[in-house]
Amino acid sequence: MKSAPLLRVEDLRVEFATPKGSVEAVRGIDFQLGQERLGIVGESGSGKSQTGRAILRLLAANGRISARRLEFDGIDILHADDRVMRRIRGNRISMIMQDPRYSLNPVMTVGRQISEAYLIHADASRKEARERALEMLETVRIREPEKVFGLYPHQVSGGMGQRIMIAMMLIPNPEIIIADEPTSALDVTVQLQVLAILDDMVRQRGMGLILISHDLGLVSSFCDRILVMYGGRIMESLKAGELDHAKHPYTRGLLNCLPKMDGSHAELPVLKRDPAWLKGPVP
Amino acid sequence: MIRIENLGITFGHGRTAVEAVRGVSFFVDEGESFGLVGESGSGKSTVLRAIAGLVSPSNGSIEIEGTPLARRRETAFYKRVQMIFQDPYGSLHPRHTVNDILKEPLEIHGFRDGERRILKALDEVGLGAELRFRFPHQISGGQRQRVAIARALILEPSVLLLDEPTSALDVSVQAEILNLLSRLRRDHGLTFIMVSHNLAVVAHLCERIAVMNRGLFIEELTDEQLRRAEPHHGYTRQLLTASKGYDRDAIAEFVDYD
Repeated sequence: MKSAPLLRVEDLRVEFATPKGSVEAVRGIDFQLGQERLGIVGESGSGKSQTGRAILRLLAANGRISARRLEFDGIDILHADDRVMRRIRGNRISMIMQDPRYSLNPVMTVGRQISEAYLIHADASRKEARERALEMLETVRIREPEKVFGLYPHQVSGGMGQRIMIAMMLIPNPEIIIADEPTSALDVTVQLQVLAILDDMVRQRGMGLILISHDLGLVSSFCDRILVMYGGRIMESLKAGELDHAKHPYTRGLLNCLPKMDGSHAELPVLKRDPAWLKGPVP
Repeated sequence: MIRIENLGITFGHGRTAVEAVRGVSFFVDEGESFGLVGESGSGKSTVLRAIAGLVSPSNGSIEIEGTPLARRRETAFYKRVQMIFQDPYGSLHPRHTVNDILKEPLEIHGFRDGERRILKALDEVGLGAELRFRFPHQISGGQRQRVAIARALILEPSVLLLDEPTSALDVSVQAEILNLLSRLRRDHGLTFIMVSHNLAVVAHLCERIAVMNRGLFIEELTDEQLRRAEPHHGYTRQLLTASKGYDRDAIAEFVDYD
């Protein structure tokens, strides 16, 4: 990490009150984020998405966040009032969700949605916003931006929809992007093309990126550093290139149970979960 | 066992017609496992649904054990051919217990030894008898997919059509389901036709793999050719590169295949 961390998280916990008692989704995790690409990997229920959402304090009504420290650029996110949070959300930290079909407004043209994102956070005229939106569409490599500007979300493909989301999230020039399974709904080749756009923009603008995904192989080939989560805790933190040297049995188990293209039809090793992973000290 | 000849499937009419499958032919032997890979819109699932009788072909023929299939499938057909769907959340009736779900095909086909078959099917897919009276929402995603497999197997079919059977599951659960499917195929001498977007999953379960793009068969490979990473067609090579993970330079070379 070259610069001071943008984000510091210490002992973050997320709890949900349910009729059957409280459920802890995130159970005391620590990490920092600088101008880098950080991957958070885990299976469903590992708490990876709740971690991402907790950073923006986006939680269901029955959820509760606590932490020893949750700090972005000197601002205490945990105790910031709603006005401060509104200035952070979308403007300084933005979030890309999984499926563009659900996260874009279906009755508004994509151009208007991107312009709106700019207008809310910048003091600009409509004309200026339109120009910036067209520029952004070009940056995310959409051919014929003028034409796409006037289209509705149902008229674009999944890959294009996700590029539009990226354009919308990046137009206020945030310092941190949280991408929660941004490409899981896409075909493999399109998935990589979308990630390449995100990669280029994050590098050029010096942003911090948190990529949340269930795909260990993809995340380790894309990110600089990965956190492997299980049961709401971080099992292991690795430099991305060192996935082969992963030590934690959970990470090893996840790697081993992937089918490989080696022409073998042998039985796949099955992941055996150890209840001790949920308790004992994290290595 | 299964012979598909020049299969064509068109949706819609006139100017808005979409040719989802364009003249596909293949043959699957008894006990073989055949895979169809491709990206969304390639027509792979449509081929499978046509075999199951869920969509009607516009052209070509489908033969099973030498008999061409009529447009409307007879009940007896489903005793031989069963299908497993991608989403175990969507393919099980939410207000039926596991027991009801497994009983339904037995009643349709007039089996009398239901009790024995239900217990046997649960055992075969590795589910305890204690899950028998649970509802789908009370069991995990992996268990649900096991119920869907049990429901397909309970009629003792000879062919299983698998449409992305593990895509909705976590990788650790995927490994368990893939192992289960391999074991069932070995034990019962089943014939598989499996559709997936995941090359590694198809390569694991199938000996022969056809790559589809825009309704056409691009090429057919053996698992051995895939292991040596020797596809002939550029599209397959690109798919293979993409499945290896993120590589900025390789992505710059990607092209669209029409």
